[in-house]
Amino acid sequence: MSNIKEYLINDHRGCDDIFAKMEDKASASLVDAKKLTEDFIYSMERHFQREERVMFPEFESKTGMLNGPTEMMRQEHAQMRNLMSQMLIAIDNSDKDKFFGLSETLMILLQQHNMKEEQMLYTMAQQHLNADSQRIVEMMEALVVE
Amino acid sequence: MDFNGLSIEQAPPISAPLRFFVTAPLFGILAGVIFLFGSSDILINRYSMDVIVAVHLITIGFFGFVMLGALTQMLPVLAGANIFKVKSVASLSHAMLSGGIVSMAYGLLMSSSMFIWLAMLLLGSGFLMLILSMLYAIKSVEHFTASIKGMFVSLVFAFFIVLMGIYLLYGYGSDSITRIHYIVANIHSVWAIFGFAGILIIGVAFQVLPMFYVAPRFKQFCKRRVVYLITFGLVIWMFLNLYFEEYALYAKLWIVTFFWAFATTVWIKFNKRKRPISDVTVWYWRLASISLTFGSFLWVFDEFFNHHYIVMVGVLIGGGFILGIMLGMIYKIVPFLVWFHLNGMGYMSIPTMNEMMNKSISRIQFLLFVFSLLGFIASYYTEFFLVPSSIAFILSMVLLEYNILLALKIYVQTRKKAPDFDMSAFNME
Repeated sequence: MSNIKEYLINDHRGCDDIFAKMEDKASASLVDAKKLTEDFIYSMERHFQREERVMFPEFESKTGMLNGPTEMMRQEHAQMRNLMSQMLIAIDNSDKDKFFGLSETLMILLQQHNMKEEQMLYTMAQQHLNADSQRIVEMMEALVVE
Repeated sequence: MDFNGLSIEQAPPISAPLRFFVTAPLFGILAGVIFLFGSSDILINRYSMDVIVAVHLITIGFFGFVMLGALTQMLPVLAGANIFKVKSVASLSHAMLSGGIVSMAYGLLMSSSMFIWLAMLLLGSGFLMLILSMLYAIKSVEHFTASIKGMFVSLVFAFFIVLMGIYLLYGYGSDSITRIHYIVANIHSVWAIFGFAGILIIGVAFQVLPMFYVAPRFKQFCKRRVVYLITFGLVIWMFLNLYFEEYALYAKLWIVTFFWAFATTVWIKFNKRKRPISDVTVWYWRLASISLTFGSFLWVFDEFFNHHYIVMVGVLIGGGFILGIMLGMIYKIVPFLVWFHLNGMGYMSIPTMNEMMNKSISRIQFLLFVFSLLGFIASYYTEFFLVPSSIAFILSMVLLEYNILLALKIYVQTRKKAPDFDMSAFNME
């Protein structure tokens, strides 16, 4: 797949699927959901880094939009990272209500974030970076999470 | 490439949508009071003044407020369509619409022409200002998704039903109720229910079900065609209704087929959703599916019974389907808005969405609401149920208002404290 937009949208769907599995597990037993929660956070982090370390810089250098949409997306990534770290704490404290409160909040924040990306940012990125699409997707695929 | 139409920094000020949400249940309470003290033919005669007033307190005061309020938030976020001077447009139109609906209720109930004229002016200008500025904002959207198409078409219907509404009020104000009046009233109500509210809900559902519940996506056919097919049906229905009334039933069947299919699709999508969590919002979507299914069939069935069941159709489609979905949406949107705005201002240690409203109260509110719907339907057969169902409806609205105010209180109290982080460095403006 060498289309940036499709590649990243696919990544979103992958994260959604793990999220659903994680909630499913957590509703049965919070402790048992720890592994899935970590998997989910890892997938999200990998996705964020694919954007922050590969796609966003490419987009910014091509368009010159440094404080534009990508900066806003970074801020929302920070909000989500904060919620996800609190979810792990909630598991350690066996606080199911807190966990689901956080997961619900994260879900909506995440979805409206994804919508902005999928409907606007990715479309713009695909248009501007079309010629380098293959290379950028390969770089995102090869990325090692820091 | 033109970037002007695009802004990722989209969320409008919280006051724009929230003022509509806070006021909506109050009009619901007023409608309930009219059901409670209104004349006993309230559930039989759709053209009695009590019914017209109570129905409009709900359709304008609740549906209109919640849908337009939600659109001030959704258009920028979903579509990148920024409404020009959204804060002023929202606060001014909110004031005009609130004044307008109260004037309309008073004018019609007390037969005061002066208040009816005032209502025409306030409702007309309030609605048109809001609708036209939203349509203008959509004009700049570059990437039309299925949801945005739905919002656009529904706003076009809203534009026409407002014009028809003004004409109808003119009829009451000048005391000249002609045959045309009833024809326009019929088109006004059917377009409002299926064109404005129905299409908007379908458009939003394309986006919301996969998003919030991780339900399977809608098929491309649905997303591309359904809104247009329904629009086609509604326009044809209007012409048949005007010129060949005996054939209007065919257009009704056409419209109903798509809405019934939508109701069934929603039900199936909820069964197949990957996110198993079941909260009150899921119950509301379920209730909406069931009510829409029964309501649509009854609407066709009613044609053969001299429109005896039209009020029951209204209870099922207006109450169970539209109001049900509005209520479900409020439980998601209000807590999220409060959380999102506070978090964006740098408040980190705030309650999560689930802690903004009282869950037990939401459940009781749902049960009271369902009880009132069933009661209103039963009242058609025996008047006895009218009082308990009106009271249940009022209580459900009071509890809803209480829950919305709980979230608002969290917002107001948190704002009084200093944020955990200073976010002003990130201010994009």
